[in-house]
Amino acid sequence: MTNNISYQEALANYEAVAERPLPEVNYEGLLEKYHPDYFKDACVQLKIGPNKGDICHIQLAEMLQADARIDEADLAGAQVIETDILIIGGGGAGCAAALTAAETGARVLIATKLRLGDSNTVMAEGGVQVSIEKDDTPQQHYDDTLRSADRPVDKKLVAEMVMSAPDVIRWLIQQGMQFDLDEYGDLLTRKAGGTTAPRVVYFRDYTGLEMMRVLKEAVRSTEIEVLDYVPTVELLSDEDGHCTGAVLSSLEDNRYKLVKAKSVIIATGGIGRLHLNGFPTSNHFGATGDGLVLAYRLGAKLRDLDSFQYHPSGLAYPQHLSGTLITEGVRSAGAYLLNAQGERFVDELQPRDKVAAAIMRECAEGRGVDAGNGIQGIWIDTPGLELKNPGIFNARFPKLIKIGKKSGIDPRKQPLLIYPTLHYQNGGVIIDKHGQTNIPGLYCVGEVSGGIHGRNRLMGNSLLEIISFGRRAGIHAAKYSPRKPFRKISIEHLSRLRRELMLADMPMDSKGPILFPAYAKFETDSDYSGLHKNKKSK
Amino acid sequence: MNQTTETLINATINGKAISAPEYLSVIQALWHAGYPRIKSVGCLEGVCGTCRVLVRRQNSQNITTELGCQVLIEEGMQVNFLAFPTPAQQHYKLEDIRNSWEVQDNFHTIFPEAENCRHCGGCNTTCPKGINVERGVILAAKGRFREAGDLFTECVLCDLCQSACPENIAPNHVGIFSRRVTAHLHTRPSNLINRLERLRKGELKVVI
Ligand SMILES: Cc1cc2nc3c(=O)[nH]c(=O)nc-3n(C[C@H](O)[C@H](O)[C@H](O)COP(=O)(O)OP(=O)(O)OC[C@H]3O[C@@H](n4cnc5c(N)ncnc54)[C@H](O)[C@@H]3O)c2cc1C
Ligand code: SF4
Ligand code: SF4
Ligand code: FES
Repeated sequence: MTNNISYQEALANYEAVAERPLPEVNYEGLLEKYHPDYFKDACVQLKIGPNKGDICHIQLAEMLQADARIDEADLAGAQVIETDILIIGGGGAGCAAALTAAETGARVLIATKLRLGDSNTVMAEGGVQVSIEKDDTPQQHYDDTLRSADRPVDKKLVAEMVMSAPDVIRWLIQQGMQFDLDEYGDLLTRKAGGTTAPRVVYFRDYTGLEMMRVLKEAVRSTEIEVLDYVPTVELLSDEDGHCTGAVLSSLEDNRYKLVKAKSVIIATGGIGRLHLNGFPTSNHFGATGDGLVLAYRLGAKLRDLDSFQYHPSGLAYPQHLSGTLITEGVRSAGAYLLNAQGERFVDELQPRDKVAAAIMRECAEGRGVDAGNGIQGIWIDTPGLELKNPGIFNARFPKLIKIGKKSGIDPRKQPLLIYPTLHYQNGGVIIDKHGQTNIPGLYCVGEVSGGIHGRNRLMGNSLLEIISFGRRAGIHAAKYSPRKPFRKISIEHLSRLRRELMLADMPMDSKGPILFPAYAKFETDSDYSGLHKNKKSK
Repeated sequence: MNQTTETLINATINGKAISAPEYLSVIQALWHAGYPRIKSVGCLEGVCGTCRVLVRRQNSQNITTELGCQVLIEEGMQVNFLAFPTPAQQHYKLEDIRNSWEVQDNFHTIFPEAENCRHCGGCNTTCPKGINVERGVILAAKGRFREAGDLFTECVLCDLCQSACPENIAPNHVGIFSRRVTAHLHTRPSNLINRLERLRKGELKVVI
């Protein structure tokens, strides 16, 4: 590794200054050279499945081409539950789908891996995008989204999303979500990296907590049935290839449950806990890309599997908090990024991929801060922001003050060391404007779906997407499902998977979805022998 | 990564003796020592409220309730994870509250126990976020919902106060109800409403 400058020396180089001019920055070839998506050997071609021949991140490819966790024998004697609409995953997208579907009187079941609300949604800080300012329009929102995407996107989906944004916020307020308002009760807005107008609405740096709390409370106070601690390990299908339900594995009693459903909505979120390229992550414990694996096996087509978002400002030091997010809101509010020489090196409000790559360039070229134990990073100039805008941290970033307390660093007095952290899955399952996949009966919404963000998602577009498409899928499924008859349930599609794996000469020793990151030692846990046994018996 | 010259801390977690570096949370310490832990793990960032633990520190008689992802291990610390039975919850629909004159009446129907608060402070002591839960209940019972709700800004719905309350008040749900009803009935931003109107009239389009 290049010799960076030691923490102490870099701190001595640092001085809190309210205003600093932007230096000349060279963005030419920056991404290609420093962004992890472009790392040599990061991607491979898929050998089986609907995306055969497409390039895909190597760790994700391994999962998409893994063997299933279950066999025919596991299903014998399993309890069968019936419902109109099964929702897999209890984050923001899942709850939005459930609430809208249940309003029509459809029977809805949410089955989630951890507890309802233990998700990426609850962790979101920065806010939601919605064009409401006088000099802003949905068209500008659309243009900004496409510009930062930096690769072809599904334009219709983006248009639907930006046009629905104001109604999404209204719906959230009706559910009881609070936002930060000005003295007249108008929504406060701020800019995000890559936006041409202030467009992000928020509640402190607790936007996701407030959203999730409200949705969870709303779900729990209705008739929607919720099952906690039941990760889905497989989907069910019939001979025509319809999705007809799912296999849940209960962490309570180690048994399988079969859910027979007329529609299935996957809302399992992202992949941060796969720690792609060895990066730390900002994501919750259950973000292991399960939904991609489940859908892919049943024949759903995916896209943009080579592109992930590394959030520029993950905490790098102290070590136990590594990967913890410092919201982009801090940069939107005007905080600078400084290298170990105490100099700015990037326009902080460029899209995230560029800012992240610029940070990696500073560290690779010896202008980073070396905090020992392999930890490196650059400063986020929080004291400078406090100087420019006294009291801003107490008023707007209470969570950051708490993070500061835990690290023994007061961000108002000392800059924090940051390095990019694996944050978001840009691609995912291909859907239409109702969240439908190419598999009849199967919807995907939220971070698990793809098509909107290209190579780079803007802050605030994900919280918007999950509610916008969560609601659409809920409405659509409720309209078409209850009157339909139940179909046959089977795991016939697994025979096809295994045949394909054999023909492609693929190893069959890894099983997916992985459900939990390896360090949680799920597979070796005797409490969960049901699943463990299956792994050994293969 | 590099774990050469670190001092190890000895603690007891769920009855198991554990040694781990001082910068780890109790959840990370369990993993570090090779024990599985899946339940009671969620965001790992102090916002989901799932990782509830009982903590007793060395030379202290006090037992505190905290969030396991937020507690760093200390020498001689005893930690026990609490199971998470999801308690029954009030069923209500915000839409059934027709206007802001009727909130109080509805509140007492939904939370009949709230009036019985005996000011024991149990909820305050147990809250890992240091929220003045008791005051929130008192304010809500008086109909001061906005004020009550504001106190719960950092509530992570860990349900600890609910388990602690001898009167079965569900103070956290009182708090979230107060917050929700305030937004539902009083948040009416003119900038948002203007935009919705322009969209309704078809004045704004997106050209693909
Ligand atoms: C720290 C952080 C900050 C963020 N800040 C912002 C922001 O400011 N603005 C913004 O727009 N976006 C932000 N994002 C992104 C955004 O929060 C997420 O993309 C979004 O919330 C995803 O919602 P979701 O419902 O699709 O997934 P999630 O909220 O992650 O929910 C998925 C659910 O599915 C469950 N699940 C997973 N696998 C299975 C399985 N096999 N079986 C059953 N259930 C399963 C999970 O446990 C979880 O409950 C942030 C993300 C993080 C991590
Ligand atoms: S108010 Fe209750 S539920 Fe909320 S954080 Fe405190 S103890 Fe937990
Ligand atoms: S625990 Fe219950 S009874 Fe005691 S102060 Fe809190 S709300 Fe009142
Ligand atoms: S794991 Fe979410 S609060 Fe601790």
